[in-house]
Parts: sequence; C-alpha cells; structure tokens
Amino acid sequence: MIKKLISNFEEGFLSLLIVSMTLLVFAEVVARFGFNAGIHWAQEVTLLMSAWFVLFGASYGVKVGAHIGVDVFVKMLPSRIHRFLTVLAIVLCLIYCFLFLYGSWIYIEKLIKIGIELEDVPIPRWMPTSILVIGFVLLIVRFLQLGWKVIIGQADGFHFADEAEESMEIAKALKESSLGDTDSNKDKGDKS
Amino acid sequence: AVAAPIEIKFSHVVAESTPKGQMALKFKELVDERLAGKVKVEVFPSSQLFGDGKELEAMLLGDIQLIAPSLSKFQKYTPELQVFDLPFLFKDMDAVERFQQGPEGQGLLSSLESKGLIGLGYLHNGMKQLSASNPLRVPADAAGRKFRIMTSDVLQAQFEAVEAVPLKKPFSEVFTLLQTRAIDGQENTWSNIYSQKFFEVQPYITESNHGVLDYLVVTSTEFWMSLDDDLRVELKKALSDAIAYGNGIADEKANEDKQQIIDSNRSEIITLTDTERQQWVDAMKPVWKQFEKDIGVQLINAAQAANQ
Amino acid sequence: MTIAVLFITLFFCMFIGMPIAVALGLSSVATILMFSNDSLASISLKLFEATSEHYTLLAIPFFILSSAFLSTGGVAKRLINFAVDTVGHIRGGLAMASVMACMLFAAVSGSSPATVAAIGTICIAGMVRSGYPQSFAAGVVANAGTLGILIPPSIVMLVYAAATEVSASRMFMAGFIPGLMMGLILMIAIYIVARIKGLPAQPFPGFKALARSGVIALGGMMLIIIVLGSIYGGIASPTEAAAVAAVYGYFIAVIGYRDIGPMKGIPWQKEGENYASAAARNTAQMLMAIPKSFADPEVRKVILDASKVSLMLLFIIANAMLFAHVLTTERIPHTIAESIMAWGLPAWGFLIVVNILLLMAGNFMEPSAIILIMAPILFPIAVQLGIDPIHLGIIMVVNMEIGMLTPPVGLNLFVTAGITGQNMIWVIKACLPWLCLLLGFLMLITYVPQISLFLPEYIDELKGY
Ligand code: NA
Ligand code: NA
Repeated sequence: MIKKLISNFEEGFLSLLIVSMTLLVFAEVVARFGFNAGIHWAQEVTLLMSAWFVLFGASYGVKVGAHIGVDVFVKMLPSRIHRFLTVLAIVLCLIYCFLFLYGSWIYIEKLIKIGIELEDVPIPRWMPTSILVIGFVLLIVRFLQLGWKVIIGQADGFHFADEAEESMEIAKALKESSLGDTDSNKDKGDKS
Repeated sequence: AVAAPIEIKFSHVVAESTPKGQMALKFKELVDERLAGKVKVEVFPSSQLFGDGKELEAMLLGDIQLIAPSLSKFQKYTPELQVFDLPFLFKDMDAVERFQQGPEGQGLLSSLESKGLIGLGYLHNGMKQLSASNPLRVPADAAGRKFRIMTSDVLQAQFEAVEAVPLKKPFSEVFTLLQTRAIDGQENTWSNIYSQKFFEVQPYITESNHGVLDYLVVTSTEFWMSLDDDLRVELKKALSDAIAYGNGIADEKANEDKQQIIDSNRSEIITLTDTERQQWVDAMKPVWKQFEKDIGVQLINAAQAANQ
Repeated sequence: MTIAVLFITLFFCMFIGMPIAVALGLSSVATILMFSNDSLASISLKLFEATSEHYTLLAIPFFILSSAFLSTGGVAKRLINFAVDTVGHIRGGLAMASVMACMLFAAVSGSSPATVAAIGTICIAGMVRSGYPQSFAAGVVANAGTLGILIPPSIVMLVYAAATEVSASRMFMAGFIPGLMMGLILMIAIYIVARIKGLPAQPFPGFKALARSGVIALGGMMLIIIVLGSIYGGIASPTEAAAVAAVYGYFIAVIGYRDIGPMKGIPWQKEGENYASAAARNTAQMLMAIPKSFADPEVRKVILDASKVSLMLLFIIANAMLFAHVLTTERIPHTIAESIMAWGLPAWGFLIVVNILLLMAGNFMEPSAIILIMAPILFPIAVQLGIDPIHLGIIMVVNMEIGMLTPPVGLNLFVTAGITGQNMIWVIKACLPWLCLLLGFLMLITYVPQISLFLPEYIDELKGY
C-alpha cells in the first residue's frame, strides 16, 4: 500500500518534471514567436527542473533498473562469484553516494552562509540546490534495498533495462498491432 | 625543507586569445618570473573547469583562487556593482577608467567582503554597441524587437525602456537564434561581436557606446587572507601589472576588431547623429531612477562626475 | 599514474557490473581524492552544474519524449507502408524500402536502437514472407538503423555540440549528406546482392495508392518539416525545436492518429455522420482529451518510459562531465595530446589513431559517454592539425554507428536478436558483411571531408558569410 503510494509519487513527480520542462520551453517559443514576448524566468526554472529530474530520478532509476551497465562479463562467471562481485559493486555505489552526500552537504552549507538568491526567481539559492542532498539520500536507500535483495537471493544484479530492452517493448507492441492487419493468423496462434 | 608552492588556479570562460585570456597568461608569466618556487599559477580558459554560472561559488568553496567574471554577474552578491550596467552613464572608456581608479571605484572593490569575496581590480572589455537585423537609429527602431541580454535586471529594464523585448538565452544558443532571426539583436562590445561571429549574422551595428562591459578580478577573502603580507603585496603588484597589460590589449583589440568588422562588409555600421543619440539617452535614462535606491545616488553622481 | 588509476578504476567498476554512470563518477572522485587538492564540495557543485547549466542537453529528454510518442506503433507503420509503395517494385526493393523507412524514421528520431525496433519488427517479417533470407533482412535493418544518429536530428550530435561548443545546427547540416549517402550505398549493395541472388520484387501499386499512403504518412513526416523548419525558419533553436517536436509527437499520436490515449479508437468521421457534426464532435472530444491524457495510463506510460531513458542518459552525461572535469584538472588530455603530438603524426595518421580509439571505445560504451570523454581530448589536437571540428564530429558519429553493431555491447545487436528471436552469434554474423560496408564508409568520411563539410559551408555561402 505505502509502497504503491511511494511508487505513484515517484512516477508522477518525474513525469510532471519532464512534461513541465517541455511545456515551459514550448511556451517560450510560442510567447516569442506568437506574442513577441519573453518569459524572463523560464530559462533558470527549466534548468533547475532538469537538475531535479536527474538527481531525483537517479534513485528511481536504480529501483526500476533503468541505469545501463556492462554485465556481460560477470554473467559469464560462476553464480557465487557473480553474486560476490555484485555486492562489491553495490558497496562501491554506496561509497560513491556517501562521498557526494558529504560534498553536497558542505556545498549547501556554504550557500546558506552566503545567503544569495537565484538570478531570476526570488528564492534562496540553497533551496533548489538541496536536491543534491535529497537525491543522494534516496540513492543510498535504493542501493541498500538492492544490496539486501542480492544478499537474500532475490536479485542477482542491477537488472539493466538498457535501451535495447526498452526498444524491444516497442517492437512487441508493433508486432501485435501489425498482426491485426495481416493475414497470418498462424503467428497469432504461435504466440498464445 | 622547501615548502610546496602555493597553487593559484585562475579560471575563466573565454578563449586564450582574448584580452582576458592574455591578461591571465601575463599574470602567470609575471608570477613565474618574480615568485618562482613560492607560487604556481595555472590558467584554465574556456570554462574548462567551471562555467560562468558556477565559478563564483566554486571560488567560495576554495577550489579556484582567481576569476574575472563580468560585472553584471555580481548583481546577487552586491547591488552596488550594478552601477556599471546603467545605460549612458559613462561617456567613454577614459571616463570608466577615471571612475574605477577614483575613490568610489576603489571602494567598490571591497563591497563584496560580506559575501567572502575581494575585488582585486577592474579589467576592461569595452563599450557596448547594439547589433540587429534592422538598422537602429532612434529608439523607435528597437520597439517590439527581441534582444538577447545577459542575466541582469538593469539590462532588462534598459531594453524595456525603449519598448524592446529583452530575452535571456544561454550564450551557446545566441548565434543560432540570431542567424535564424528568431532573435532580432543583441548588445555587446566590438571584440565580442567579432570573436563570437555575431557580425556575420547581424547586418546592422549601431555604434551606440551605450554602456560598458568590464570584468572584475576577484578572489576569496579566505584565500587572500591566508597569504603572508609580503606575498600578498607581490601578488597584487603582479596582478595590477597584468591588468594594465590586459587593458592595453583590450583598447587596441576593440579598435582592431571594429576595423575587421568594417572590412568584412558584412554589417553596416551606423553612426548616430547628436540628436539621434540624445533620443536614446532620453529614453533609457529613467532606468537610473529605477535602480537609484539599490545602487546609491552618490555612486551614480560620482560616475557621472568622471565624464568631465 | 593519475591516468592509470582513473582508467583502471573505471574499467574495474564497469567490469564488475556497476551502472556506467556510477562507475564514471566514482572513478573521478577517487582520482580527485588521491591526486588532487580539490574538495568534495566542488565536485558536488560540478555535478549540479552538469545537471543544471547545460541548456543544449535538454534537447535529449525532449527528443526522447518525441520519439516515445512516435514509436507507439501507428506512426512507424504508416511510414513503412509509404516506403514499400515507393520502392517495393524494384528488385530487392523491399530491402531498399526497409532502408528508406529507416532513413525516414531516422529523420524524426534521434536514436538508433529505437529506429531498428520500430522499422525492424515489420520489415524483417515482411521480407522473410516475401522470400528473403532472414539473416539478409536482419543485417540490412540492423545496419540501416544506425542512421538514427547520423541523419539529423541526432542526440549524439547534440552531445558533441555541447562538449565542443560547435554549432548544433551546423552539425545537423553536416550529417545530412553522409546520411543520405550511406542509405544510398546500402541500397546499391542490396541491388547488387539482389541481382546475384535473384531476390524478389513487389508489383508497383500505382500512383494513386502511392499518393494515398504518402498522405497517410504525412502526419509522421510533418515532424521532419516541423523540426528542421522551426530551426531554419527562425522560430526556434535546436533545443526549443526538440520541445516543439515532443509536443507535436503527443498531438500526432494521441489526437491525430489516435493509436493510444483517451481518443483511442474514436474515428474522425463516424459512418453516416456529416462533416459539420463530425467537426463539432471532434473538437469537443479533443478539448476533453487533453486534460484526460494526464490520467490516461497509456499516455502516462509513454511519458514514464521516456523519463526512464532520459534520466538514465542525463545521469550518465552528468557523471561523464565529472570524468571530463577530472581529466581537465589533472591536465590528462594535455598529456595524451602532447604525447600523440610528439609522435609527430600528420593529420591523416592522427585520424587513423582517432578511429582506432573510437572503435575500441565503441565496443564497450554508450555513444554519448564516449563523445563526452573523447571529444575534449581529441578536439584540441584536431584543431591544431587543421581538421575541421564539424568533420571530426561526423567521424565520431560514424564511429558510434559502428559501435552500435560491435560486440560485446551493441544496442542494435540486442534489439535485432530480440526481434528475430535468434542468438547473438547469429545476429553478429548477419550484420558482419554490412558492417564491413560501414567500415568502408568510415574511411570515405574520414578522408573526404567535403562529404561532411559541403552542406554547412554551402549554406554559409548562400547566406553570404
Ligand atoms: Na536522427
Ligand atoms: Na559496441
């Protein structure tokens, strides 16, 4: 239940960010070309949304296995070694996160101390930048979850859903839709 | 034992061939010559380390020691430096130089101290001109036209004062936008119009000299105060010499680049008559009033006094 | 020493299966901690800069979103029908039609694997049904699919433009002729093979049917006009054009073709409905459909899928920028550049080294990451040797195309294996002869710079610079 709620929030928030970025840039074009006007805060806001999109999304990407990697080598190894290397990889990922979390914290502290605002929007600069801290905390949570799953044997790797796999889904959908208007009912029978 | 030399990373966002790039290299040369073994300067041009949106913050974190952003970049650090963005405040570069070297100009160098920054000197780029896809002779010619500006409230107000549409667009997109006429014009110094190839896509350049685009060489208070007094004096001296060298190049380069643009025959250069110029002044001067509170009347008066 | 640590950490991290993004970031930060005085805070700042200060990179999520809407089925199918009607009657024509379909799809999408997936499903099956050997069909489509990044718009070119500050629109222009040329070379090769092997031809459907399928495919083809038109017609920059393309992709898939979303299955004109009432009904339904889209599971899935790919790519890019930042602070490009310069290679020799480096990198890595790492190293040397940055960019893109087809990591190989249901070895064999063609094409692109430079320079000249 809570899991579903969190999942919905993550997906909704990411979709909202990418759609808002697109529409804001689109609106700028419309404003400039259609109404001879500019949106003076659009550039800064769009760019900050892109930072939130990436840094918030990184942990979601771990959850759904969206990040790509090279797992051809480890897959050739015996499963015990494979498992060990995956745990090692997750530990290294955690080290990466903690180093950046620490660095981000110092950076945010400095921004709070200087106390300057964004260029075009009257809010303190540390606020949008705080996604660094939020993002790495979330990333740590996701890597810990993944590590636990690997240790108890529920998962054996990062499950890279690479672009190839994404495209495969498209391919499957296409195949289904194309079967609708061809005469090959035989293929259909094979599938089911 | 010999102590390791103090490392100074000088980061900037322009090419090595520009006056700023040359000034940075001169500084390195002078320090190598005078403070060999004590201080080591490394220059990183072309935003190699940090872009101009983040170099100030990176300096405050202590990872670079010298930068020279344009004065408009400081508007969120201190409103006073916005004085340099005011339109038609300075008659020419000599007036700018007099003001910068005068007591008020030198006083401004320490206006950033509360934010942890120290200004070490002004570096010239030059007076700004207006370029556009249509000839701009009077303010009415600019009305309804789209101009790209740097992020600066004063510059935004300046274009709104002539009923033009100021647009903030990243530098990386400006050329394409000008080329395709998605944006009508922009303001810049002769050397930027030349080096960024804007003159290739802007058929008209009005020699308006309506504002100044200069840089401020800054360091962080924390780094500067950590140095020995003698060393600080030596470094300041080397920097002043390098700045003087850079300013000499800047003046020369502005004239050279202007001539190159004229020789290219790609843009027509429009010289304003006195009455035309006065119309621009009358239209844009209300901007002073708008920012008087932020900047301070005394500062504006002192800047004006430098014209005589 | 620094170089060794950086690359060994990177390769080790990648070898044990870490996400590429984290592998890049961790090797960078480890190198910084060991060899430099830089603080972790400034590395974090750099990461934030990499995600928040590169306006040009925003074109990546926008084009992916646009491709996601276009890949939902109908658009790709309509483009293929048009291609079959156009060239299907020539001997080997169906294979040529597949190449042309790939070229058309490449002109609206910026991604190679998506091109293979979208075109391959229908075309490979179609060719097999018409009597072509399956390996022949698979090889053709897997290769033609790589055109996705050579024919503009191209995500890889945008990344190159961002990394080297050359103009994105000039890069796009420069990719146009090489893209057409490679399509043509593939078609000629197909024709020769078709003659020798006696491959079949389809009957010509007649001009009426051709015109009809052309009109139906227009909705998809309009995107080409919208993207290129808005850039060259003075409406938008490439990044903005990408946003326009995404919005258009939504409208064409959801409102126009109605393959997905709240209007799925609703006809433009019902039987017996007159034009006026159809127009009124459609207008009302469209206005309703836009807010309904936000809740529609199919539309949401398209957006979410685009988000996943985008954030994955942008996160790699951000970390690759850190990697490049370390290379820069440690002056590693300078060191490599100086040692290569010290070999005293002439331009042609340098280009051989470049191609070997890139082909090696292409075996393991994703194109955007390769470009971001290699471009800052190669760019300054190339400039010094008098090689045009745009030309270098096209050479890099063609190398990346080949990388899509080389094991162990080749996205097009994976997709093709999936479509055909064959194993990797079979796919690699199927692609090999065509891969040789691509290598020949790379030589041509490398040593005849005019192929890349003619169009951008000609356009500059037209405009009188
Ligand atoms: Na493309
Ligand atoms: Na490969």
